[in-house]
Amino acid sequence: MTGAPLPLFSSSVKLKYVKRGYQHLVDNFVTFLSIPVMVAVGLELARRGPQEIVGLWRALELDVIHILCSVFVIVFVATVYLMSRPRPVYLVDYACYKPPSNCRVPFSAFMEHTRLINSDEKSVQFQMRILERSGLGEETCLPPANHYIPPRPTMEASRAEAQLVIFSAIDDLIRKTGLKPKDIDILVVNCSLFSPTPSLSAMIINKYKLRSNIRSFNLSGMGCSAGLISIDLARDLLQVHPGSNALVISTEIITPNYYAGNQRSMLLPNCLFRMGAAAILLSNRRRDARRAKYRLVHVVRTHKGADDRAYRCVYEEEDAEGHTGISLSKDLMAIAGEALKSNITTIGPLVLPMSEQLLFFFSLVARKLINPKRKPYIPDFKQAFEHFCIHAGGRAVIDELQKNLELSAEHVEASRMTLHRFGNTSSSSLWYELNYIESKGRMRRGDRVWQIGFGSGFKCNSAVWKCLRTVKTPVDGPWSDCIHRYPVHIPEVVKL
Amino acid sequence: MELLWTISATLLLCSLLSILWKEFDRRRNRNCYLLDYVCYKPSDDRKLSTELCSDVIARNKRLSVSDYKFLLKVVVNSGISEETYGPRSIIEGREECPTHDDCVDEVDDCMHRTLDELFLRTGISPIDVDVLVVNVSMFAPSPSLTSRIINRYRMREDVNTFSLAGMGCSASPIAIDLVNNIFKTRKRTLAVVVTSESIAPNWYCGTDKSMMLGNCLFRSGGCSFMLTNDPSLKHRAKMSLKCLVRAHLGADDDAYSCAIQREDAEGRVGFHLSKSLPKAAVLAFAENLQRLAPKVLPVGELALYVLRGLRHRLWRSKEARTDAATAARVNFKSGVDHFCLHTGGAAVIDAVGRALGLTKYDVEPARMTLHRWGNTSVSSLWYVLGYMEAKKRLRRKDRVLMLSFGAGFKCNSCLWEVLRDLNDGGAWEDCIRAYPQQTLVNPFMEKFGWVKEA
Repeated sequence: MTGAPLPLFSSSVKLKYVKRGYQHLVDNFVTFLSIPVMVAVGLELARRGPQEIVGLWRALELDVIHILCSVFVIVFVATVYLMSRPRPVYLVDYACYKPPSNCRVPFSAFMEHTRLINSDEKSVQFQMRILERSGLGEETCLPPANHYIPPRPTMEASRAEAQLVIFSAIDDLIRKTGLKPKDIDILVVNCSLFSPTPSLSAMIINKYKLRSNIRSFNLSGMGCSAGLISIDLARDLLQVHPGSNALVISTEIITPNYYAGNQRSMLLPNCLFRMGAAAILLSNRRRDARRAKYRLVHVVRTHKGADDRAYRCVYEEEDAEGHTGISLSKDLMAIAGEALKSNITTIGPLVLPMSEQLLFFFSLVARKLINPKRKPYIPDFKQAFEHFCIHAGGRAVIDELQKNLELSAEHVEASRMTLHRFGNTSSSSLWYELNYIESKGRMRRGDRVWQIGFGSGFKCNSAVWKCLRTVKTPVDGPWSDCIHRYPVHIPEVVKL
Repeated sequence: MELLWTISATLLLCSLLSILWKEFDRRRNRNCYLLDYVCYKPSDDRKLSTELCSDVIARNKRLSVSDYKFLLKVVVNSGISEETYGPRSIIEGREECPTHDDCVDEVDDCMHRTLDELFLRTGISPIDVDVLVVNVSMFAPSPSLTSRIINRYRMREDVNTFSLAGMGCSASPIAIDLVNNIFKTRKRTLAVVVTSESIAPNWYCGTDKSMMLGNCLFRSGGCSFMLTNDPSLKHRAKMSLKCLVRAHLGADDDAYSCAIQREDAEGRVGFHLSKSLPKAAVLAFAENLQRLAPKVLPVGELALYVLRGLRHRLWRSKEARTDAATAARVNFKSGVDHFCLHTGGAAVIDAVGRALGLTKYDVEPARMTLHRWGNTSVSSLWYVLGYMEAKKRLRRKDRVLMLSFGAGFKCNSCLWEVLRDLNDGGAWEDCIRAYPQQTLVNPFMEKFGWVKEA
């Protein structure tokens, strides 16, 4: 009589639980150590009895002076320790620009315009194929100047777009936070592809009549990861100046960067980049700690420019006909993966729990000493973060990172939906994604967020935030009128 | 109990010592030292003589004869010599349609030459650089200029880079401010700053007079300098930063729009300089000096200033005829030994000199820099500093004030203290003996003298 084959015990032991147990053990090592000690002390005290304990206390011959001195010393040491820690940087609130619906570029409009502007049928077909597979939706927006046939990339139109997106975002932020323009101590603006003189930071100072002793900086040319570079700079400045707040503006101005040629590697930005801006208020004031949404924990910057392949993968140059455009190389995904690995190497030890770090270390040792062909252990970053904001650079970037970090669909949902609804808004995309997570009611107090930006150079920058208060829905932001429709299923190819 | 006393006393002592050590360590690492600086000297085939300028202007067929005369007059009266440098695209006749490569090559040449020499002179390897700042106001390609430098010199992955753009002619102190703030948060950090301006992509080819001045006055130039807060490198440093003041008058509409890049009536982009620029400059200057004076002047001078002000106010009827300005004037020379003035133009230098009560000797470095190098925008301060060093004026404990103006409208200043006697020739090495020139009159004044009648 043949019975059913015995089940495979090794798989039923559920290695997952073993791993879970191991993680608990290592993460709470100190607690596990201290519990037996406390139990022992408690037993000892209980054995002695209350009378003996009081007797021991009296034997110490403490009088008021001794007690006061001891208390003074303890308080003093505690104060010194607290004062020597770096000042926390709080994110009070942020606002993202919501483009009006008359700036929408549905696929049909985009293709129609492309056919009218571009006489080369092959280029038109190529752009159509990109759009089909891009992961963008029908509601992404281009600035008014790009709706002309052909687009009008004048400096005046570029300034108009800058004023529109930036001032709307700042007005929104002022409304949400009650910020007074005269209170702003630090201003950092990053816009990669448009840097007029006077700078965009001067434009903001002019519009809002900011103080004359403001510390303003205007970063340009630094790519889609420049938003986190601005945060890094604002953080450094806030460490030096107590009781200050900083306004950080991240945006990309699309108007002057329309590519009018036919080289394929340069046509992608036309298809993917869309209008957007974010205004972020950071502060190190203690009174803002109560109303702040997040606290900045880490910023890690990685620059792969020393490697020629990485340096050339996003490169502005002229094509054979003299049109300037940004060419994206085919290696982009591979390079993004490598840049991410470098960034992870630095950020891993800072954020991963001890259990993951040890596993990674052991796997490294095993690969080096025992078996080099062994698959590298990818630390489980889901242990360190609850939410992930991956720069919505394009569908392929999000796919690549999801694979590399072994993330689930829900973790990358914010990135995919932002790409669908707003397109690639460059450095401000991370803030649209964060707003998506908040609008979905998923942001709870104590949650940790990892923002990852990639950009020309090739750079990979990360920022880690910790949520200080649960964000209640409905959230006032760019998703407020459409969050109920999301998430949507985005097909691989949308047939046009 | 004895034990308790001992423990308390030890803990107290340890805390005190740790506080003192932290404070001492913080102060040690707070300083910003200038290790060295290298000013850019382009190759001689890029010299722009007045005759060449005249040819370039004449190439613009849209200009009328009166426009041509006006521009030539500006060039001839500018106090700029025949030895200044221009970008290759202008000299080779491509000023109206520079290619992207022209613009990139112009900046690359400056950055590479100055950085090569800087690393050579300081003996520090690019691998050791922790912070890199580049400021070029009117050109910001992708990838950024900082990425270009990282790629060329194979710098580390964790270099913190900042690419400032659009910040005008006074961006040098802004870059220093950025680095100074970073120094206060980190120990033993090495920073390299590159400041330059890009002329090739910004040639104005229209007919609006307010936009043509830039074409006539801006010249190629740049500077790379190395800063550190590492106290162990202090003995090699040239100067130490004492204070920095930034004044931004952007809140005033006239000041904001007095120097602005925009399109003219025909859609051509140029840099517009309006008639309200001097007024904006004066206001920004006053704002900056107001905040700078208490940090720079000795207590005695400040007290005298207050007393003079009081006396003027109290005895107003008697002193009515006294000029209010002279009654309240502060003697900056009591706290500053050398003045690096932005070489925005002869008029700017003279006006600032008068306002600060400077002698001909004091403004000589700025006038001579304008003569030899033209208005190199952000880097002009460093050429002026180079002149003072080449003339062996900079002695230990001297105080140098750098003062510049820029679009926005900004006035930025920083005060340095010289740490040791300086005598490098730098970019002035081959021509310092010819300076100071007694006459700054353009040699072509005779030939183009007819413009004076126009």
